[in-house]
Amino acid sequence: MIEVRNLWHVYEGRKEALKGVSLTFGNEIIALVGPNGSGKTTLAKHLNGLLKPTKGEVIVDGMDTRKYSVAELARVVGYVFQNPEHMFFEENVFKEVAFGPKNLGLSEKEVEERVKWALREVNLEGYEDRSPYSLSGGEKQRLAIACILAMKPKYLILDEPTTGLDEKNAESVKKIIRNLHREGHGILLITHEMDLVLELAERVVLLYQGQKVFDGDVEEFFELDLRKYDLDKPKLLKISEKAGLGFVRDVEEFVKALEMRT
Amino acid sequence: MMYTLYLERDSLIHRLDPRVKIIGSFFGIVALILFNSPLLLFSIFLLIVSTLVLLGKITIKEIFKALKPIIPISIVAMVIWPFILKPWYFGLFIGFGYGIRLLSVALLTLGLIMTTPQRDLILGFIKMGMPYGIGLTLTIALRYIPTLYILAQTIMDAQKSRGLELEKGNFIQRAKNTVPILIPLIVASIKTAHELSIALESRAFGASKRRTFLYNIKMKARDYIALGIVSALFFLAVYARYFLGIGYIELF
Repeated sequence: MIEVRNLWHVYEGRKEALKGVSLTFGNEIIALVGPNGSGKTTLAKHLNGLLKPTKGEVIVDGMDTRKYSVAELARVVGYVFQNPEHMFFEENVFKEVAFGPKNLGLSEKEVEERVKWALREVNLEGYEDRSPYSLSGGEKQRLAIACILAMKPKYLILDEPTTGLDEKNAESVKKIIRNLHREGHGILLITHEMDLVLELAERVVLLYQGQKVFDGDVEEFFELDLRKYDLDKPKLLKISEKAGLGFVRDVEEFVKALEMRT
Repeated sequence: MMYTLYLERDSLIHRLDPRVKIIGSFFGIVALILFNSPLLLFSIFLLIVSTLVLLGKITIKEIFKALKPIIPISIVAMVIWPFILKPWYFGLFIGFGYGIRLLSVALLTLGLIMTTPQRDLILGFIKMGMPYGIGLTLTIALRYIPTLYILAQTIMDAQKSRGLELEKGNFIQRAKNTVPILIPLIVASIKTAHELSIALESRAFGASKRRTFLYNIKMKARDYIALGIVSALFFLAVYARYFLGIGYIELF
């Protein structure tokens, strides 16, 4: 359980990025949405201790983030950054994935097992000897997830995991997310893509100007007037509403509902 | 965080043409090399400080802050002299002069940067004959310092999230810990540079030899007067040194 209690964050004594945000989450897929500069990243960086609260507190499985280093919190909360290239520095994929678990001080055998497991989880088996920089965009994104996954964190924060990926790669990232959720991981998605929210999320948290303005399930979320927050409804939902089919989560559901009607 | 050393003020020095300031600083540095009398060097140092304070509206505190990184080097330069020159107090006296000379040269350069915006400074150099390509390279290099700083922060955050401890460990451990930061930073920088070169070429960079400037600088009466004063002072210094033999102590 991650608990955020009345969190305030002020950058360099001036810019108020977060103004009293409270949030509790466990093993669920939460989408953290909001326009640029609404405080999404600031909030996410508090969850693994990269940022410390100016006021309020963040408790991760009973640990106050102010009292633990990022490296210690990394065992529990994994953070996959937006640009995978910002973390690659080893000569091959195996060493790259092994970096995290090695930092946790695990035995060589354990590290190897975890690397194999993580690569299998993201479908990158057989890539062990490739250079991380030689991979394609989608493979890099999956490798980035594997690097964090190998540390076996209970919670996973993914920053724009499907942005810039083609359909096939985006689909495989979504599949990975669903799998991890089934295995009991709590997942926080930071995203601008409303389609992704519609398809994956169980719960949506909407930030606007540093404050939480919505926290609830997906169907309710899409009933809000999203234009007020510089967001928009997915096309699929608009079509389905026009067709009188109500709320659907993906094309498959839409087609099924359509067939049911005729 | 400090992006640049430039300090926005409304002062006489700030308003001067960058070329005058560049020539002035150059003359100042040459003059400092002409003399080795500690007392004279110290007076020149005080002259530079008071010029910056009175005509440039730079505070003593800001000057000290800018000079701070140079102070250790100038102290080293100072304490070496007593070992070379006997008696030791004479060596220390001369060393004091050398330390002050170092600080003065640094202060002249820093003063130039503190009172001139980057854009003007580079435009000044280009107008004085520096090839535009070099000027542009300098501008870009300076422009990218804050960008790279932010990038380095992001990379540090990403690696910390993978369990990298940056704050702990001895000197060797800390040096080793910079590898996971430096490699992504270098790769990202090279990529940015490559993209930038494409962007420049697609905007017809280098298509014509002589280019015009949107923003231009022009010497005004005030600038000519300032240039006259600076030159007169410089020639006075040369005259004093070579014809009157002032300010130079025979050491060996």
